Amino acid sequence: MRKSGKMTKTLRGVSEYVLSVGIFTVIWYLYVAIKDVPAYVLPSPGKVGKGLLDLFSGGTIWAHLGTTTFEVILGFLAGAFLGVVLGYIFMKVDFLKTALMPYLIFAQTAPKIALVPLFVVWFGIGLVSKIILIISMVLFPVLSGTMLGMDSIPKDVRNLMKVLKASKWQVFSKIELLYSLPSLFSSFKVAIVQAVIGAIVAEWMSGKQGLGYILTFASSTYNTPMLLAGIIVTIILGIVTYEIINILENKALYWHESKKI
Amino acid sequence: MSDYSVVLKDLNKVYNNLLKDDTVALKDVNLEIGQSEFISIIGPSGCGKSTLLKIIGNLDKATSGEILYKDGVNQQLGFVFQDSVLLPWKNVRENAEFPLVIQKKQTKENEEKLDELLELAGLTEFKTALPRELSGGMKQRVSIVRALSYDAPLLLMDEPFGALDALTRDHLNEELLKIWQKTKKTIIFVTHSIEEAVFLSDRVVVMSPRPGRIKEIVSIDLPRPRGEVTRNDPKFSEYNKYLRGIIG
Repeated sequence: MRKSGKMTKTLRGVSEYVLSVGIFTVIWYLYVAIKDVPAYVLPSPGKVGKGLLDLFSGGTIWAHLGTTTFEVILGFLAGAFLGVVLGYIFMKVDFLKTALMPYLIFAQTAPKIALVPLFVVWFGIGLVSKIILIISMVLFPVLSGTMLGMDSIPKDVRNLMKVLKASKWQVFSKIELLYSLPSLFSSFKVAIVQAVIGAIVAEWMSGKQGLGYILTFASSTYNTPMLLAGIIVTIILGIVTYEIINILENKALYWHESKKI
Repeated sequence: MSDYSVVLKDLNKVYNNLLKDDTVALKDVNLEIGQSEFISIIGPSGCGKSTLLKIIGNLDKATSGEILYKDGVNQQLGFVFQDSVLLPWKNVRENAEFPLVIQKKQTKENEEKLDELLELAGLTEFKTALPRELSGGMKQRVSIVRALSYDAPLLLMDEPFGALDALTRDHLNEELLKIWQKTKKTIIFVTHSIEEAVFLSDRVVVMSPRPGRIKEIVSIDLPRPRGEVTRNDPKFSEYNKYLRGIIG
């Protein structure tokens, strides 16, 4: 009973998605047809569809998509790991928090695009500078999520661990990490979207591969259908990675109040 | 002195305030608690009863004074908090088993004992339920079983039934006595309910606030096992009246 309920829920979600995209495409199509918009400004959905098809049928897109996906995943994992570790250390050592937090806030508020040329100078145009940019975008939300999560642990849970004479590692692995999961997953969702943006921006500025490169290439050759097709692929990459986090969250937080069926 | 469980000697607890006078939370507390004794600590809010319990449970430090445990510095103790503090991702059995996991005592014998305790607390049917599916009373039962699971001889309870309705509270009081009689634990029970203290205890320690000190210790001479009959005993209401008079 519960299983089939879940099925209809997913099906409804999917059909809502399709309906929403469908209506948007129809409006787009009608707008272009009625107003007679030139294709280099806004091509019709059909032309973009063809551009999309060309990208995939040519086969070149796969390498670019692969590169970006790889950067997103690697950068996200590294950034999330660093975010959790730093967040944990900040909560335990007040001095480090006071000393380092201003720099992190500075790094977070500085426009990332302005930092890319600097990263290129420092780390070259290869993978490293891209990953570092992605890490810089992922780190802060995950760090905040970790700190918020650890703050949410009831005092008596810590007292319980003290009564049981639990080790620091047990407190971390059995309590702190798990109590932080809800806010961690919220931060992961923000972070994965940031990671995709970071990867695209980095490829845009430097690089010969990746979806960002396709976008600059299409833009500089006035190939608007290809540009829009590239944007659509990027959006799909964003949605897919976001949904993966969502699925993992539903698996990990089965116990949470928000997951009541 | 031979069969004591915990002895408190001249305990003082002082909070230093920067701008005001120091707050004396506990002053010269002396108390000897016997083995398998059920002792309650009552008093108005702010009399330091919870602070005292936390100090006995090593969750807070006394400013001066000494505590002797029967098993020395490595005394194992169970603590039941006002809130059940169950881990929301673990089901009833996993929550109750948690201390065994932490202390690496998951022997077959302990696991069987745990199942017996769950049975005793009427939780057998709810073993796989998550905390969010339980009522407040049920959660507190799990929390008590958890505190008993690793067989610590000393059980500290900090207003464990304070948040429950009167009916559930009466019911759980009777169950707690059953568990106590079966397991022969020493129980130190903090409450602000006079009736609860009288119903449960061998002795009731009355504390007074500012500074928190022991005002009187009243031995409750009511026959055991106690139950519905006890509540109707005229001596029961006499004790209540007497204690109410002291606390004032």
